This record gives sequence, C-alpha cells and structure tokens, in this order.
Amino acid sequence: MLLRWFIVLFVCCALPWSALAATEIEISSPGEQSIPLALTEFLPSEGVPSAQISGELNEVLVADLDLSGLFRFVDPGAFLDDAKLIGLYSTQVNFPQWRMLGSETLIKGTYSLQGEKLIVEARLFDVVNRRLLTGRRYVGEPKDVRRMAHAFADLVLKELTGEEGPFSARIAYISDKSGDKELWLMDVDGKRPVRLTNHRSIVLNPDFSPRGKEILFTSYRANNPDLYRKEIYSGKEAKVSYKQGLNVAGRMAPSEREIALTLSKDGNPEIYLIGTSGQVRKRITDNWGIDSDPSWSPDGSRLAFVSNRQGNPHVFIADIFSGKTERLTTRGKYNATPAWGPKGERIAFTRQEGGRFDVYTIKIDGTDERRLTFGPGNSEHPRWSPDGRFIIYSSDKGGNRVIYVMRADGTGSRRLTTLESDSRHPAWSPRW
Amino acid sequence: MKTVQTLKLVLIVLFLFSGLVGCAKPVTEDQAPVTQADMSQQQEAKGVDDKSMQGEAVPSHDQMAGMERIYFDFDQFTLSSEARQILSANAKYLNTMGDVNVVIEGHCDERGSDEYNLALGESRALAAKSYLVSLGVSAKRLSVISYGEEKPLVDASNEEAWAQNRRAEFKSVN
Repeated sequence: MLLRWFIVLFVCCALPWSALAATEIEISSPGEQSIPLALTEFLPSEGVPSAQISGELNEVLVADLDLSGLFRFVDPGAFLDDAKLIGLYSTQVNFPQWRMLGSETLIKGTYSLQGEKLIVEARLFDVVNRRLLTGRRYVGEPKDVRRMAHAFADLVLKELTGEEGPFSARIAYISDKSGDKELWLMDVDGKRPVRLTNHRSIVLNPDFSPRGKEILFTSYRANNPDLYRKEIYSGKEAKVSYKQGLNVAGRMAPSEREIALTLSKDGNPEIYLIGTSGQVRKRITDNWGIDSDPSWSPDGSRLAFVSNRQGNPHVFIADIFSGKTERLTTRGKYNATPAWGPKGERIAFTRQEGGRFDVYTIKIDGTDERRLTFGPGNSEHPRWSPDGRFIIYSSDKGGNRVIYVMRADGTGSRRLTTLESDSRHPAWSPRW
Repeated sequence: MKTVQTLKLVLIVLFLFSGLVGCAKPVTEDQAPVTQADMSQQQEAKGVDDKSMQGEAVPSHDQMAGMERIYFDFDQFTLSSEARQILSANAKYLNTMGDVNVVIEGHCDERGSDEYNLALGESRALAAKSYLVSLGVSAKRLSVISYGEEKPLVDASNEEAWAQNRRAEFKSVN
C-alpha cells in the first residue's frame, strides 16, 4: 500500500522532468551548423595526476570533434572556476557559468590512474537544458587512452546526430617506410601505425571485408600480382586468387560471400566475381578495353568501375544480375578510382583536369557533381568513412604521396601521415 | 485511528520528501545512462614482428641484352610505328635464341589511378606479346607481368621521366 503510494507520488513528480528532458538538440549535417562546445580538461579523480593522460584525452577529442565540423569550441582561456571542478552529474555542474560563456554543450571528465589501471569517466552535458546527455566509463590501461577518447568522440556524435562517429575505426594503407611497399594500419588520426605485412616485395591496394575482420590486398611476393586475404587479429594470411596475370583491386561484397576483382587471365583486364576461395563465379565485363577497380554499392547489387571502352577512362556502373552497364561520368578525359559511398547516394572518384588529379563526388544518377579538392598537387584514391561523413585520400602536394582526410563536402582537410615516407591507398575500416 | 494518523503522517512526509527529490534538481539521478566500456577486452591488430618473420626479397630479372624497350603515349597501349620497329628487331633476335623464355613487363608513369595503371601496364605488355607472336615468336616462350606505376625507370615527376617510364621491358627467365 505504502509502496503503491510512493510510486504514484514519484511518477507524478518525475513526469514533468522527463518531459523537459526530451528536448533534443537538432543537427542536420556536418558543416551546416556549429554548436558551441566547451571541452574541459579531464581531471584526476584519484590516483596519480598525469599531464600526459589528460593531454592525450584532450588532443584526441579536440581533433575528432573539430574534424566533425559540428562544433565551435569555446575558448578554454575564457573558462571560469567550474572548469577546474569535477562534474560527472548535472547537479555538480555550474550551468549558468557555461551559459554565460556562450556554450550550449559541455564535456567534462575524470581519469584515475592506479598502477596499470586507467579509468576514464567522460560526460556530455546540455548546458541550455542543464542536463546530462550521455556519458561512459572506460576501463583499461594507460596505452588505451587514445582509444577511449576516440570512443567518446564517437558517442558524442551519436548523441547529437543519431549516427555514431567513425573515430574508433582504423585506416589501412600502403607505406614504404620499412624500405618496401607493405601493408600498414593506423588510427584514423594517423597515430599508432602498425605494419601488417613482411612481403619485401610490392604490396598494394588494401580493402576491408565489410565486417572488418579481414583485409584484401595484392602482393607481388610470388612474382605475380596475386590477391591475398589477411585476418587482422590473428595475422593469418592466405592467397585468394593467383591466376596468371592481374589479380588486383579485390573488393569483398557486402554479403562477404563474393569478391569483385580485376583478372587478366583471358588476355585483357576484365572484372569478375570470385568466391572467397578463388573460384571464378561470374564475368562482369567483356570488351576490348581496360575494365578495372570495382566498388560495390552498399546493397551489393551493382558495381562502379573504370573502363576505357569508349576511348578515355570513365566511371561506369554495372548491375551484377542483369549485366546492364551505364556510364556515370561524362566530363573530363580521365576519371578513375570510384568509391561508392556508404549511404548509396554518391560516388567519389578522381578526375584529371589541367594535368592534375582532384577528388570529386557525383550522385549515382550522374547529377550534382561536386569538386572537393583544388590542388596543389594530385589528390587521388578517395575512400569514405563508414558513416559517410569523411573522405580519406592521398595527396602529393608536399612531395611524397601522403594520406589526408577531409569532410565529405571537401572542407577541413588535414594530413594524417608523415611527409618523410610514401603512404597511399588508404581504406577506412568498418566500425572497430 | 492511531494507525490511520500514522499512515497520514507517513504519506505527508513521503509527499514532501518525494516533492523535494522531484522538484529540486535530481541528485546524481541523471536520466542519460552511463555505461561502462572495457577497453582491454578489445582485440588489436597483429603487427609484424620483424625478428620472427623472414620475408625474402623478390628477385628481379635483368633487361635482356639484344632486346630494346618500347615506349607508349600517356594512357595508351597501342603500339607506335617506332615500337613496332623495335619489336620486329626483338622478334628476330628472339628467333635466334631458340630456348630463351621472356617475361614482358608493362609499366606506366606515375600519373593516374594506381589500379587503372596496373591494368594499363598489363595491356601494354599484352600488346607487345601479341605483336611478337604475330612475328613468329612462340607464345609459349612469352609471359607478361604488369607493375603499373610501381617500378619507374626514372624517379622524377616531369614529362621526360614520364616518357621514359611508360614502357615495356623484356627480361629472360631461364
């Protein structure tokens, strides 16, 4: 009886609050609107204070959230005393102080470093409605600190836009840092590079399996450009296709049951579908010219690819069931490297114009073409982030070819790999 | 009677109490869920341990003495008249070297898509091969490989270097 009364009273009192809490911050797409955000330094809750831990958390969050294009950072120099106070709950935050600084959102957090154990608590607050939007507690070791910050940046984007960020993913790429072109993997901010192959030959053109457990790539290790697959976690590696001639540009279908690739076994580079153990299932193209570099539509029904069947290299789209093929690009004399966006609506590609290559996107019906890069140097090999917010590509404007990232509208471009060695063929993994 | 009074009192107290809880800011009762993520449970990529892995450098063949390279125009794999002349001389030479097998390497300059250039290099090597076959060289003696833009002859970014790099080379494999 008492309990029932208690519940009724509690519900009566709590209702207006949950109604208020349902106010949403509305955001459409990156770059269109910017939310004022105060990002405070993470404070030690217990254990040893570490400038390195708080510094890395801050560095990663600033970089990821800035790249998102969603935010305008409130100048940390203007922060008042609440920035120095721990606030993991909305009752502990002095919201009027943050409102006064013009902020609408606030990130606060703590870390606790005890021996080899690191616990990070991160919170996102809605300053206008004075409430906690989301938070997470990350448990790990000091070496996990950057991953914790990337994961929280992903969560912040999810909370504010409904779609998770891609910052916890990885980028596979080819680098000659070890002396030969080998396969490498790095964080999406270019940090923590790890070499994955030791072929001492030429390794090219990596692409992730749709579930992100494997990487397909081509290697000349056995004196022929053969297609390999590699399990990322175990390091296990196997040849998939090793027919005489080209076995290149392998791209796993969204179903992971087939691989589209270029083979030249019939005396001319053509696109085929093979099973995951290498047997040819279907030939997609058949003409005198070059057909290469397939990219799957997200639903797995079509392939964008490059062909010079009408004279110059252009991007075409083939329906893999009917075989019906249509030309996508009409302008320019050299269009290549199509990358079908994860939302299915746009395809990124490169075009040579005035002796230089730049990155473009186009709708799959051939309309609304947009140029994203404007030199200097060549910008090539675009690939999308899994959420379609960003595009990675290679640019040689600094001498060596190195990897850059930008927003899908071409803004916010920044370099990810060092200028000292050649890095190319980036591919953004699915969510890790 | 006493029980009723006590109940009333309890209810009033409860009402006031829950009113405080509900109408003041909730104390540590934020509605957004705060979950925990265990980062040490996540798998990491297996990198190369340089000491344990013994890769072998892939042997490269030498350009055959007596066989000249041929060159191509940008984004083309058709044979120029000059290239045909060189191939005729190469065919004659090959026909005097009855047991030598040859790999024809197709190369491109650095401009353009790497993937497309792999195909273009292949087409260049194949064009050279079929011309040699048409001149009487046994197809069994000829294999092709494309290196795309991966093995430039001249490592520079200018017209002259690019012209040198768009080529097919002929190397003995015996």
